[in-house]
Amino acid sequence: MGRASAKDSSPSSSSSSSSPSLVDNSKHKNHPRTSLSFASSVCRYSSCNSGGSSSTRAGRTRRGDLNTDLRLGLSIVSPDAQKDNWIGPPVSKQREQRQDWPPIKSLLRTTLAVAGKADANVHNVHNNDNSDRTRTSLFVKVYMEGVPIGRKLDLLTLHNYDDLISTLAHMFTTSITCPNGDRADHAKSLHVLTYEDREGDWMMVGDVPWEMFMTTVKRLKITRADRC
Amino acid sequence: MDPSKSRDSAESTRVIQFPNDVLERILSLIDSHRDRNAVSLVSKAWYNAERWTRRHVFIGNCYAVSPQIVARRFPNIRSVMLKGKPRFSDFNLVPPNWGADVHGWLAVFADQYPQLEELRLKRMTVTDESLKFLARKFHNFRVLSLLSCDGFSTDGLEAIATDCRHLTELDIQENGIDDISGNWLSCFPENFTSMEVLNFASLSSDVNFDALERLVSQCKSLKILKVNKSITLEQLQRLLVRAPQLTELGTGSFLQELTAHQNEELERAFIGCKYLHALSGLWEATTLYLPVLYPACTNLTFLNLSYAALQSEELAKLVAHCPRLQRLWVLDTVEDVGLEAVASSCPLLEELRVFPADPYDQDINRGVTESGFLAVSLGCRKLHYVLYFCRQMTNAAVARIVQNCPGFTHFRLCIMKPGQPDYLTNEPMDEGFGAVVKTCTNLRRLGVSGLLTDLTFEYIGRYAKNLETLSVAFAGGSDLGMKSILVGCPKLRKLEIRDCPFGNEALLSGLEKYESMRSLWMSACKVTLHGCKTLATQRPRLNVEVMKDEEIDDGQSYKVYVYRTVAGPRTDAPSFVHTL
Repeated sequence: MGRASAKDSSPSSSSSSSSPSLVDNSKHKNHPRTSLSFASSVCRYSSCNSGGSSSTRAGRTRRGDLNTDLRLGLSIVSPDAQKDNWIGPPVSKQREQRQDWPPIKSLLRTTLAVAGKADANVHNVHNNDNSDRTRTSLFVKVYMEGVPIGRKLDLLTLHNYDDLISTLAHMFTTSITCPNGDRADHAKSLHVLTYEDREGDWMMVGDVPWEMFMTTVKRLKITRADRC
Repeated sequence: MDPSKSRDSAESTRVIQFPNDVLERILSLIDSHRDRNAVSLVSKAWYNAERWTRRHVFIGNCYAVSPQIVARRFPNIRSVMLKGKPRFSDFNLVPPNWGADVHGWLAVFADQYPQLEELRLKRMTVTDESLKFLARKFHNFRVLSLLSCDGFSTDGLEAIATDCRHLTELDIQENGIDDISGNWLSCFPENFTSMEVLNFASLSSDVNFDALERLVSQCKSLKILKVNKSITLEQLQRLLVRAPQLTELGTGSFLQELTAHQNEELERAFIGCKYLHALSGLWEATTLYLPVLYPACTNLTFLNLSYAALQSEELAKLVAHCPRLQRLWVLDTVEDVGLEAVASSCPLLEELRVFPADPYDQDINRGVTESGFLAVSLGCRKLHYVLYFCRQMTNAAVARIVQNCPGFTHFRLCIMKPGQPDYLTNEPMDEGFGAVVKTCTNLRRLGVSGLLTDLTFEYIGRYAKNLETLSVAFAGGSDLGMKSILVGCPKLRKLEIRDCPFGNEALLSGLEKYESMRSLWMSACKVTLHGCKTLATQRPRLNVEVMKDEEIDDGQSYKVYVYRTVAGPRTDAPSFVHTL
């Protein structure tokens, strides 16, 4: 039927895909499962503990990367559990994502995926160790005055301003005024550190608590000390 | 005359003389399709009276019957609800272009029901051509509801907006569609005033705000408005002041830097919403702006926070203002602490759904655990519907939960790692689910998970006498498991199974059962073509459809979909679906 085939060529015609403007699921669109190499040859029927695939059903294997097999350290089932038991889909350590488990609907699935990558500044840091949510990184651009090419730095790997300064000083091979430092040192450093906040203003790094800084910083700039 | 004869003929005369129009008048007051189905079985006269007075038809499986058969039986239909694909298509288990295209139905309806007013579709394929056809052919069309459908784009919505002059409801939810532009909203005519329900929350394109504002101002009967993420807080405020009569609101993005004045205005707008009983949307909501909601929460019965990743404290503060809450949907970012707050603030809670914010995260220290669920069961004794995604659970907790709330009708527990045992005892979750079916005698829907042996299914078969829907994944030990279900649960209507070691013997043990059920789905199990063929041969009134399971290399694994039908095998099946 002409109608149906017209939709076939469209990238999001599959019922399994969600709105294309949310996330690029293009590799999942028509073959949602074959592109996932977690689907290794670990036999579904076996109790795999350290990735050895002892198949109790000869020949029934999932397509996929044999190497992934060994990397999948599954210890889901205790030894005294039923032996012919279902382990289910192994989950790759690289978080390759199944599109069919757990059973949540496409819209929620993609909304969560986008939220996880999106503006990390927004939700960040309620700062309580138990509730660091899904943020795995918070990359901001860092430019040094006079150098056109910038760097990127993951702020989540740092814990305080000292960390920040020393990391940047190392990255850019220069000395940067420490915000808590003695003003007398000012003369010795070549550069000071400034940042652009969410309102678009450029501010000196170090005035607000680290946690608050993390929620408002958008990018960093290392400016010449004689300019400030 | 023989006295007994005269009595008989007197009685039969009485029945015959019962005027049809009186009967029809009475029957036209009956809405429930189950009641009507029962009525139609009484006698031929009642069957006829019923069929002439039926206005709304519900078709749970679009392939169980054909549109011609429906039209022949029910001449006066004004409202149709149709469901298409099996539920597991929500999780990408059904290949694209499987079917359930509504067009065949529309073509018949255009002929037989030109006065059709309402169409509600779930998991059907709907093309733009179909939407254009709909808009063109049905001049009295009022209600279009598309839930989890696919195949159309916003172009199709343009046709609906342009041509359906009397539209009162446009409800587009969770569909896999081409969101090309938000222009469709601007297609409503300038003098359009009939809208009562407008839900475009799941579309992402920007809509013309002026057009939306005008629509909201003009439609004085607008009761339900759910906008999409593109609508800002400032714009929301403008909409709310024009529609204080709203009973259900889906906000747009809840994150925008507002001035103090704008904040105040927004607060006032929410204070003005005195009739609000349902709230959703709230994308990116944070502590900063949630408080503006508080005044509108007094009468809230449904709060949907599935798109707002709230932390426990934020939720606690919010629900403290929602004493009448009956239904709550949240993400597991609220954690057990958040659920404890719900338990203490919302004693009237009946339904709780907790979705995983990061479904692929294996870190067991995130999300909710058994203690959150337990806390809610202690504080909310009316709880009867739960959908709970978690990473750990114990049998003891489940048993206590159902002890606290024996009235469960829907118990859907998803321990996300397949095959996960009770994390304290390392035992299967058999006893936990056993407790559920033993205690909750009104249980109608059950979703099981975790490490489960055949014992779980034995319990279900033995105790779950009111169970209608069962979902099973990565569970069971042998054919015995599935057999117990099929032999046991007398009211079973829908059975969906994936990745379980159930084979032909299990499949065939349901021979006596399938015709009283709506459908059976089995994928990544151990059934073979031979078993399916046997079933098909022995039960010609079932459609036994198989699709090759591409995940499995052996070329022998199938997805099986079995359903009763009076329409015979599908005529529109794609090449990968084989009816046996």
